[in-house]
Formats: sequence, structure tokens, C-alpha cells
Amino acid sequence: MTSTFALFAPPSFLDDLLLRFFGQETVNYVVWPFIQIGAVITLVAVWALYASYLERKISAFMQARLGPMRVGKWGLLQPIADAVKLLTKEDLVPEKADPYIFRYAPYISVAATFITFSVVPFAPNWGVITDVNIGLLLVLAISSVGVLALILAGWSSNSKYALLGGLRSSAQMVSYEVSMGLSLIGGLMFARTLSLSGITTAQASDSVWFILYQPLAFVIFLISGIAENNRAPFDLPEAESELVAGFHTEYSGMRWSLFFMAEYAAMVVVAGVATTVFLGGWYFPGVYRLAGGSNNLYVFLSLVVFIVKMAVLLYLYFWLRWTFPRYRYDQLMDLGWKWMIPASLLNIVWTAVTIFVLQALDGRLDTVESLNRGVNLTGQGKGVAVFMGFAGLFIAALFLAYLNRHSRDFNLKKQRREIKLVDVPKGAPAVARAAADNA
Amino acid sequence: MVLSGWESVFFWVFALSALVAGLLTVMARNAVHSALFLISTLVSVAALFVLLGAEFIAGVQILVYVGGVMVLFLFVIMLVNVSAEERGSEELFNRTGQVTAAVCFVALLVFGLFYAVNQSAGSFASNRSEGAGAARLRTAETGVSKISEDTQRVGASLYRYGALPFEIASLLLLVAIVGSVLLARTSKQELVADDVDPRVIPELSAAGELTPAEIEAAARAKAFEV
Repeated sequence: MTSTFALFAPPSFLDDLLLRFFGQETVNYVVWPFIQIGAVITLVAVWALYASYLERKISAFMQARLGPMRVGKWGLLQPIADAVKLLTKEDLVPEKADPYIFRYAPYISVAATFITFSVVPFAPNWGVITDVNIGLLLVLAISSVGVLALILAGWSSNSKYALLGGLRSSAQMVSYEVSMGLSLIGGLMFARTLSLSGITTAQASDSVWFILYQPLAFVIFLISGIAENNRAPFDLPEAESELVAGFHTEYSGMRWSLFFMAEYAAMVVVAGVATTVFLGGWYFPGVYRLAGGSNNLYVFLSLVVFIVKMAVLLYLYFWLRWTFPRYRYDQLMDLGWKWMIPASLLNIVWTAVTIFVLQALDGRLDTVESLNRGVNLTGQGKGVAVFMGFAGLFIAALFLAYLNRHSRDFNLKKQRREIKLVDVPKGAPAVARAAADNA
Repeated sequence: MVLSGWESVFFWVFALSALVAGLLTVMARNAVHSALFLISTLVSVAALFVLLGAEFIAGVQILVYVGGVMVLFLFVIMLVNVSAEERGSEELFNRTGQVTAAVCFVALLVFGLFYAVNQSAGSFASNRSEGAGAARLRTAETGVSKISEDTQRVGASLYRYGALPFEIASLLLLVAIVGSVLLARTSKQELVADDVDPRVIPELSAAGELTPAEIEAAARAKAFEV
């Protein structure tokens, strides 16, 4: 690492090569960031292409089908064929649409997602594009701008289905953003920084993943993240069975695919943040020793670790999509406001209690090692924190059960019992009665 | 704050875009376009906060105003469906009273601005000479770029010196929410939620706010719950 402050330290042989053509400052602040940004954008675009392939293949395997098989071996070139089709399709703008907003809405959605990649720490050292003090806040802020694209697309299409989809999406995303942001605070209390690289180093220096301290927050974040990305079972904004295609009903060709690209990229962002905050980011025990002192190899292996962790979470997305039915709209709102937000608030209080208990026990048990760079715990301290974390799951379950004791949101049995059929005399069930009438 | 190099370029770009977008906010003919220009203004102001070294405020500005408030604005604009656009055009500066008020206000603003700049010019210069800005910065977690400890400062002073106003503000917001929910509810909804005194029901039905069918439906719904 050079002593001049760069945004990161690039691999030295490439750095030497670049220094032949540019000055030190230009390389550090302009050339390297552009190379990194280019690499990330290319990789994410390729992922967005192949995510559609994965989606079809995984759904096919879950339903005992083969999925796309015609183009290339195992249908591997299918996404390319799709991309060519989308690029050559006519770019249709409805006659009564607002032409400017209709054209620019997809760009807002793509830009809002891609900007967040600038702070995700894919690996230590040159695996970070930039490390800002407000990293996590930036991710939340920029991804909240993505809602705008959906609303604007829905409104500017001048179509009933699209408008309904846009309104639904805004209500859904505004509600789930709250629990998403609140669930991260517990992890921040342990890391004591908002910088995403800082959160990863806090976990690496303590040899622990925050999912052990914060199992409740991880579950809340994952559920809210899926809802925030409008993925099934929370894909109300584009519910095919009721809204045709929701906010992008009127879109065609490349603009339509931009929305999908943004959706798949946003999935990566949420998975990346979950990995960083709860699964230790690029940290995995033993990787440093495996690299054997070679910095570039260490960074590369960390990158692989990060991508594997993210891949597990991304598979979860597909898995859930083909496992659960879509929520009804009122159930979705109830889940957000009555279950997720109280649980995330409880998590904050419980985390504060955990840290207080750790400090109070310090005199007798020797739990806290140091407090200056995140909460560093000794072995015993970790045991206490993990115990408190998992105890939090049960406390949250009791708390939510008490809070929603009168709620019938998810009690389908009771809802079914209360369905009132019009003009059916009491006594025999309607179906049996109809059968008797026919006979 | 003395600007130099690229900082000043960014300052002028964002300051001008904030001004132009602010002007377009009041001049746009379509309510949604207005809201979009307001969003551009807010984003430009957030960028100016970054230039001031207040990253936390910039992040919160985007999170709260663009991601929260403006989304709800758009939500409302779309729900009430403001009738398309204002078609006709009106002559600007056509009323003497308005023009005089505007000119007076602008004059006050300009005077205040120059006064503030003159007052603070001396203190900025002395700060600059000590290199206070550079000393405050600490290295980031990756050990390379330099960032300010803005977030910690905001949090510490908010909870140390501003705890009471902070709590009062949150209480005020809570009261506003409860009040707006109460105002927006119709008597029928209140009846269904079992929030109406039985003695008031005859009065309401006499005033025509509740029909007998609605009262009966609410009673049946209550019987179901028990």
C-alpha cells in the first residue's frame, strides 16, 4: 500500500503499467476507479442476462421440467438470443403517455441501482471502489430513489394497470424500507461504523459473523429486502394475475429489459449488503493463511468468498419465488407494519441490552476485549452475545404473538370460516346443497 | 470555506443546477414535472452538503426527502389526479403588488447574504490558516482515503445537547399522525372499529351520517369477533 492516499491500493504490476501513461493522482482518482466501475458494470450486466436463464432453469428443475434447451448447449445461449430479440424490438411509446418521463424512468431505475455498487466492498484492498463514511446510509438512500422510477413509469404510461402497479410499489417499498433500515442498526451497534468496509473489518478482526449476534435482524433484513426488490412472494407491483404486468405493462423492447436489469442488479445489492453486514463480507477463517503472504491472491480469494456467500443468498431468492404463493395486498402491509417493524424495533432494544450486559459482566467474566474499533469480544463474551442473539429470536416471537394476538391476518382457517356466501340458508354447506339440488 | 480546483467546479455545477431546477419547479405546467424538478433541487443540495463535508446530512437528505417525502408527494399527486396541465399562458410581472413584494424580499435576501459573508469571511480565513479542515479528517477503514467523522459528531451532539428538542419533535410528529388519521376517518369506519359511544349513534343516524344498514352491519361484525 502506497503512502499517498488513494481510494484503494491497486495491484502493483498494473499500477506500474498505468503510471507510464498517467500521473500518480490521475491513476489513483480517475483511471483506477473507471477500470473498477467498468468491471463491476460489465459483470452485473452479464449477471442480469444470466439471472433470467437461472430463473427459468431453477423453476424448471423445481417443477421437473428441462427449461430452455434449444439455443446452445443446455440452452446456455438463450439469454443472448433474448437480448438480441429485445434490442431489435420496436421501442413503443403509448400515444397518451408523458413521453419524457416514460423514456427516462427506466434510466432512473438502472442508475439508482448501479450507483450503490460503488460502496459495496467486494474484497479488501483493490476490491473496493470507494469507502465512504456513510456507506450503508448511501446504499439505503440511493436504493430508496429507485422507487421513483417505478412510480414514474406507472404514472407516465397513462394506463390503469400501470398506475395501480406504481402506487402499490410506492406504498410497499416505503413501508419495507423502514424495517430494512432499522434491522441494520443492531449490526451497526457492534461494528460502530457506517462504512461497509469498516463493518467487514470489524467482523474480520473479531473472527465472527454478525449473523451469530443478530439472527433476528438477519431474518428481518432478508424478508424486507425481498419485499423491497419486488420479488415473489412480494411481487404485488407486477402481479401478473391481477395487473397484467404492473408498472411496466406499456413498456417494450430495451426499456422493458432495463427494468429487469435493475431488478436483478438490486437483488445483488441487497444480497451484497446482507453478506457484508451479517455474513462477514469477504472474511472467511483461514483465507489469509491460504494466500501465503501474496496480497493479490488474498484479495482474489476474498472476492471468491464474497461471491459464494452472495450466490447462496441469490439462490434463496429463486427458491422462495418458486415455493411461496403471492401475498394478498392487505397481508403484505400487515406483515410490514405489524410484524417486521415491531420486530426490528425490538431488535434494537435487545441489542442495546446485550451490549449493556456484556459490559456489566466484564468485571467478573472478562467479556470485552476493547471498544474503540467496534465491540471486540473475548471467547466468553462471544458466547454471551451469541446466546443473547438467539434468545432474542424467542423474545421476538413472544412479543409479536402478544402484539398481534387479536390479528387474523394470517389465520387462514378462521378467514375461510368467515367467508359469507350470498343468500345461502344456514345449515348444510353450500357445495353439498348444490349437489343435492342437482340430484 | 474556500473552494479550489475541482471542488469549485462541482460547487458551481450543483449550485446552478439547484437554482435552475428550483425555478423550473415553480414554472412547470405539470404537477408531476414540478415534483421531479423539486427532486433535482434536493439532490443538488445534497451534493452541496457533501462538498461541505457533511456526508451524513447529505445521505439523510436523499433518504428522507427524495426517498420518503417526494415519493409520498407523487403518490398524492397521482391519487388525486390533478387535471392534466395548465393550458393557457399568463403574462409574468403583471401585478404591481406582487412585483413589489418579490423585489423587497429579494433585496432582503441579498442584503442578508452579503452581511453573513462579510461577517464570516474573517473567521473562515483564520480557520483555513490553521489547517483545521485537514486535521479533522481521519483515514477510512481500508486505510487509504480520508473521510470526516461527521456521523459520530451529529449523533453525539444530537443526543448530548439536543435530546429534548429531538424528543419533542418526534412527539409532535406522532401527534400529527394520530390527528390526521382521526380526521380522515368517517363515522362508518369509526363504528366498525367500535370507537363510537352507543349513546352517540342515534345522533349520528339522525344527522344522516350513518344509515341503519351500516349500524346493523357493524353490530354483526362485532358479534363475529366475540
